[in-house]
Amino acid sequence: MTQQMKRARESAGARCDRYAPLILGIGAILSTLGFILAFTLAAPVNGAAVDGTELIGDQMVSNQLLFSQKIFYFHMPVAITSFVAIGVAAFYGIRFLMTHRACYDMRGRVASEIALVFVIMVMCSGEMWERFEWGVWWTWEPRLTTYFILMLLVFGYFILRAAVDDPERRATYASVFSIVTFVDVPICFMITRLVPSGVHPTIFRSDSGLSPDMLIPLLLAMFGMFCIAFGVYRLRLRCAQLDVRLEALKERLDD
Amino acid sequence: MRSDRLSASNTQVDTQGACRYALRLKDVSKTFGNRHAVDHMDFDLPRGAFLSIFGPNGAGKTTLLRMLSTLSRPSAGSIELLGIDIKEHPDQARRHIGFISHQSMLYGDLSAEENLMIAARLYGVVHPEQRVADMLDAVELSHRRLDLARTFSRGMTQRLSIARALINDPDIVFLDEPYSGLDPHAVEVFDELIASVRADRTFVMVSHDLDKGLAACTHALVMARGRRVYFSSREDLDRDSFSDLYRRTVGMGVS
Amino acid sequence: MAIEIQTPSTWQQYRTLLGKDLRREFRTREMLTSMGMYALLVLVVYGAALSQTSHSFDILQMSGGLLWAVIIFTSLLGLNRSFAHEKENGCLDGLLLVPLDRSVIFLAKATSNFLFMIVVELITVPLFAFFFLSTSPADTWPLIITPLLIGTVGIAGIGTLLSTITVNTRGKDVLLAVLFIPLIFPLLYACVSATTVALVGGDVEAIYMNALLLAGGYDVVMLLLSWVLYDFVVSA
Repeated sequence: MTQQMKRARESAGARCDRYAPLILGIGAILSTLGFILAFTLAAPVNGAAVDGTELIGDQMVSNQLLFSQKIFYFHMPVAITSFVAIGVAAFYGIRFLMTHRACYDMRGRVASEIALVFVIMVMCSGEMWERFEWGVWWTWEPRLTTYFILMLLVFGYFILRAAVDDPERRATYASVFSIVTFVDVPICFMITRLVPSGVHPTIFRSDSGLSPDMLIPLLLAMFGMFCIAFGVYRLRLRCAQLDVRLEALKERLDD
Repeated sequence: MRSDRLSASNTQVDTQGACRYALRLKDVSKTFGNRHAVDHMDFDLPRGAFLSIFGPNGAGKTTLLRMLSTLSRPSAGSIELLGIDIKEHPDQARRHIGFISHQSMLYGDLSAEENLMIAARLYGVVHPEQRVADMLDAVELSHRRLDLARTFSRGMTQRLSIARALINDPDIVFLDEPYSGLDPHAVEVFDELIASVRADRTFVMVSHDLDKGLAACTHALVMARGRRVYFSSREDLDRDSFSDLYRRTVGMGVS
Repeated sequence: MAIEIQTPSTWQQYRTLLGKDLRREFRTREMLTSMGMYALLVLVVYGAALSQTSHSFDILQMSGGLLWAVIIFTSLLGLNRSFAHEKENGCLDGLLLVPLDRSVIFLAKATSNFLFMIVVELITVPLFAFFFLSTSPADTWPLIITPLLIGTVGIAGIGTLLSTITVNTRGKDVLLAVLFIPLIFPLLYACVSATTVALVGGDVEAIYMNALLLAGGYDVVMLLLSWVLYDFVVSA
């Protein structure tokens, strides 16, 4: 790479970093707005996800007005964002395997960290939903299960990283594993279509039955979450880059 | 399937006359992040030479050897082995490479003969039985050819691993700390064996033992922190000043 | 001492590598005895776990799941060992020095793992039926062969990739389980449902075919990915 290109790329990165806190702020505002609208604008929903009458946890759930359904406006955007973060990690995994440059490994790692945070948030909000809406703490429902597996895979990614000493080898293994992990994302996304379960509705379809008053807060919250994830990603990446530079400086001081 | 026949005494590259050099390194680096295992290494090694690589622990000797033997890819620069670019055509280069390390690369639960047979078949030696018998004769292990490799003494294992490394009649032989774990008698036998298979082969050896390394070599390379500190042929080499230099570089690596 | 060298075909190299693994196993019987013994012990544990159930309790309903649990745990044991002897004396480096396509190493290793597991399953499945199935299964029971085959192929493929990774790590035994079980989960889920429906009966056509399609699709995707990624993993 020529010096000029390098500088151009660095300045682009610097610009990104300058806007990162701003984007983070916008994200916070948008998603908060989304949540507020979710409580004010969106109408309460009948038994949210349940088609007809169903017996869940020894309780007939059919036609309650569910306040807990509001979790949905947090739950789904965060879930989608976690998918995107895992996708980004897999993308940088591929980039790393193509180039064997440490910077892509760092990006992949940071993206996985973001994915980890969001995955845990999804599991927590999902857990609340489950408890209040279905009246059970846990059920082996297909999407819940596949998402749980996804969480275990993200955990596995970090356990794997911790278990390899050689940095290049660690980067290669981690990249390969993040690519393989990504296979679970479409499965998790599609599972409600493949195996109808009645608990998780299919949102993205032409007849999803989401009225505009629900769709607007949802989209706002989703866009906000994307912004937050991106902002945190850039800041965390900057942090990691500074760490590396610090290490390099320390080494030079040692000499 | 491709079936280009070639015998070691009549390689394609030979007829082109383009390979007066066994190895040509141009600006070879192995870096990962801040870590420079090998840093801008340059040298040309004529055919039939015996190169000894010296340097303190962590100087990048083994990394360099692994790059030269196609086990790991350089991050930058080019390596030509007998005129073959090993980045572009690693498989072509591998045909001409033999590798003897302190690890035997032998399967303990297979007999001496079976171990060599597997190697011969993988390389595609045309009459593997004959070749294996010859090699076993050469390392004086014919009488134990049916015994499991696990039952061999360290010296015998080393001899068998030499036979394994030379099964494809390589033009370049790499030796990675071959003396470690050998008793004095085994070292003697090893030296004799290497001398007897020397022929017009090129040898590259990494060793901690300054005396052993200098006794055998026609060229010497001293490395410290991945960089070339000294490279010269034996004739130009003054023993005392070399020892002095070596001590200084070893000290440098320790600091 | 000039010798003649003729570039061997990929198929020849594959056969040499596979033959090496089989010969080793034939001589030491290391994998088969340890895996077989382990499977038997898991069945014994099942015996204790299910000993207090009443006579009317129909184990058939959960037999598919129990059977796959044995297979998964047994295969973990075998996969952990499959690369141990390659690492022992640096044999893997020896293979990498040979001009040979890296995916051949993957295919040969996956095949040998597959064969060992099939042998163990041939013993385990009848034993399981002998110990636990008091009621006779549905007439469709021979259909369990297909999910067993598809599942074993996937386990061998994914397991070979992951065991190549974990053999170079600290705490490799645990790490293999940590990576392997979540990754195999969709396959396991599908295979369990296909096996169960074949044993219990019911809406065999719909559920069975659906599950097999899911398992087969997952196999194809994962095997292709492992095959492509193996070069990076094994040369790292």
